[in-house]
Amino acid sequence: MIRYILQRIAGMIVVMFLVVTIVFVIVRVTPGDPAAVMLGPDATPQDIAELRTRLGLDQSIVAQYVFYIGQLLRGDLGQSIFLNMPVTSALLDRAEPTFFLTIFSLVIASVIALPIGIYAAYRRGSFVDQASTTIAMLAASIPSFWLGLILMQFFAVRFNIFPVSGYGGPGASFGERMYHLTLPAFALGLVSSALILRFTRASMLDVLGDDYIRTARAKGVVERRVVLKHALKNALIPILTVLGLTAAVLVSGAVVTETVFGLPGVGNLVVSAVLRRDYPVIQGALLVIAGLYVLINFAIDMLYLAVDPRVRY
Amino acid sequence: MKLKLALLATIALVAMPSYLMAQERGGVINVATVGEPPTLDPMTSTADLVGIVTQHIFETLYTFDAKWNVTPLLAESLPEISADGKTYTIKLRDGIKFHDGSDMTSEDVVASLNRWTKLASRGKQAAEFIETITATDPATVTIQLKQSYAPLASLLAFNNSAAIILPAEKQADVMTDFVGTGPYTLKERKADQYIQLQRFDGYKSREGESDGYGGARHQYLDEIRFVPVPDPNTRVEAAVSGQYDYIDALPVESFDRLKSAQATQPLVLKPFGYPIFVFNTAEGNVKNVEIRRAIRQALSMEDMLAAAFGSTDFYALDGNIYPSNFAWSTDAGVEGNYNIADPEGAKEAATAAGYDGKPIRILTSRQYEFHYKMAQVAAEYLKLAGFAVDLQVVDWATLTQRRADKGLWDIYITHSPFLPEPALIGSLSPSSPGWWNTPARNAAVAAFSSEVDPEKRLKLWADVQKAMYDEVPYMKIGDFNGVSSKSTKLEGVEASPWPYFWNASVTK
Repeated sequence: MIRYILQRIAGMIVVMFLVVTIVFVIVRVTPGDPAAVMLGPDATPQDIAELRTRLGLDQSIVAQYVFYIGQLLRGDLGQSIFLNMPVTSALLDRAEPTFFLTIFSLVIASVIALPIGIYAAYRRGSFVDQASTTIAMLAASIPSFWLGLILMQFFAVRFNIFPVSGYGGPGASFGERMYHLTLPAFALGLVSSALILRFTRASMLDVLGDDYIRTARAKGVVERRVVLKHALKNALIPILTVLGLTAAVLVSGAVVTETVFGLPGVGNLVVSAVLRRDYPVIQGALLVIAGLYVLINFAIDMLYLAVDPRVRY
Repeated sequence: MKLKLALLATIALVAMPSYLMAQERGGVINVATVGEPPTLDPMTSTADLVGIVTQHIFETLYTFDAKWNVTPLLAESLPEISADGKTYTIKLRDGIKFHDGSDMTSEDVVASLNRWTKLASRGKQAAEFIETITATDPATVTIQLKQSYAPLASLLAFNNSAAIILPAEKQADVMTDFVGTGPYTLKERKADQYIQLQRFDGYKSREGESDGYGGARHQYLDEIRFVPVPDPNTRVEAAVSGQYDYIDALPVESFDRLKSAQATQPLVLKPFGYPIFVFNTAEGNVKNVEIRRAIRQALSMEDMLAAAFGSTDFYALDGNIYPSNFAWSTDAGVEGNYNIADPEGAKEAATAAGYDGKPIRILTSRQYEFHYKMAQVAAEYLKLAGFAVDLQVVDWATLTQRRADKGLWDIYITHSPFLPEPALIGSLSPSSPGWWNTPARNAAVAAFSSEVDPEKRLKLWADVQKAMYDEVPYMKIGDFNGVSSKSTKLEGVEASPWPYFWNASVTK
């Protein structure tokens, strides 16, 4: 077990090193110049060259890489060129909207998908099963930003119930901030629910056909207990995997949805940083996102241990 | 009787046009902008967005009135200019306070102008002509020039790459304290979320009427919040829903929706600016002026504008660099050189000029969709004229990098608002990408820059425009309008290339 965990940690370090290197190279070979973006359209080439020197961008790519790795080893993600603040602070500022958007979306997705998925499996072939499967297939095919635009059109523009964009102004209360998250959370949650629903249904169908379920029923266990305790507990592993991966996608920033709703989250930060060629922010954000993916995958594997006593590493 | 009087008073109030009612003090507005400004130091950036936000925090010695004439702001009056045009004596207003409570003196102005000549693109442009900047007394500054340089007052008045006045002890190259003299102070900046400004109680407004960016600044609002909303479609929806009080830079296609909305009304700035095709005159396939002329001969400006802006409600064919509402408007050189749309004639001209079939590399971006649409139309006309075309569509950051390399492009597409003074046009500089640097250009621009008589300058500007049409360093495509929108409750805001809100108020 400990040996397995140590192996996994070593693997994670290698993955992170590769991510750092690949992102660094891709960012540097992509055309575009942060100095030109910062100085505006009428800046002279001399001004741009001076700023590049000040930012250290006139150094060779190898020198910049060595400097960057040194920074990382000291736990420093660097300084944002555009925002003039540490990358860590920029990411922490953006973490809150993304975190709550993730939780909000996951809750919506789970509340919709789990009961319907369980019921659809239990009543296989029924109208609810067929209708939910069809709707789930449609929902899985809809891009979340498109659904977001439709929700925006009805609930923000036509009925004026929710705001179109933003995360609340200065001093906005927690309630106001969640209010701003409602439409994007529904857009993401509804689309994510399709995948979770399909996995829940499939996983429950597998389990409901097992011998021990037949045995439980033969022993006269109440049907609700058979489904919700015996079957669901064993069906949870693939469902947990999907929930975990959905969370990883959402935590890493629902890039397009955050952009459409003008949410100042991690996804929006990455898009803005790419457009501004803010190299330290792109590198830092992708490093953190990759780290989250790796950690969430690791956490899911560890959760298997808790959920399924048969799993041994 | 009392009831009758009250009724009459009510009817009179209802019937009174809103502009006759006094604007109310108080309130907060949210302004949706196109994004997050790259800096809040307007000396170090020429980006319009930086100017829009920071003109509320910082002030310059001069600014522009509604007719785009230079008018004093922190200076008491327009500068006294010596007969030879080489000495500018600037009297400062008294009682001006910085946001930190200190008084503005000539020492602050001298230190700030020195920082401007060191850090700002436009300041460096002026620095070539400046001998000394000195504080004559606590309320007077003297700028001594090496030779007369007429654009100086305009350069000192502009709001980006701006000659803002800062406290003498806050002149670091990288600004960390945002202390100005403007009507609003910076309260909080949360990058990509909002920039919150609040009324500066120590502000001393000019007296008299407001006049464009000049005159009285009333500070009706308690707070102004600039909120970045980078997605143009989201800005449109936010405008229609009434979420923001002012929404900047909206697509022209949204005009009808905005007009039918209840919470907001469109504002049209007619004209806002002009799209430009800049030629690489230094290297490559269009270095030969005859080939540049052949390209111009091939193109239909009308079709490009129609593709880009849809309706003539939003564009106008106009070859004059400045439109008719500017004193600078002249048709010098335009006749026979604009909107020719003659691909066959262009083909003959290109062959005669020795065009060798190498692709014309057009660098454009979809960040501004109208650039891309114009590029597509241009490419088709050029193909009809026998040119090979390599349309390179990149994002704006890539374009701004590539255009600095003489070896990478032949034409790039950009646009500009109409700047109050032609000397502010970046493309006129020989160091600007395009690198127009010929004896004709140098003679025309030098004569224009050194003349101080306003009437003579108009004539000399016509010579510069004629040189542009003769040598084709860049092509103006036409005029286009800008669309923004404002809440029906917002007063005191007019369409402007750099909207300002110190005279704005909200009705309750």
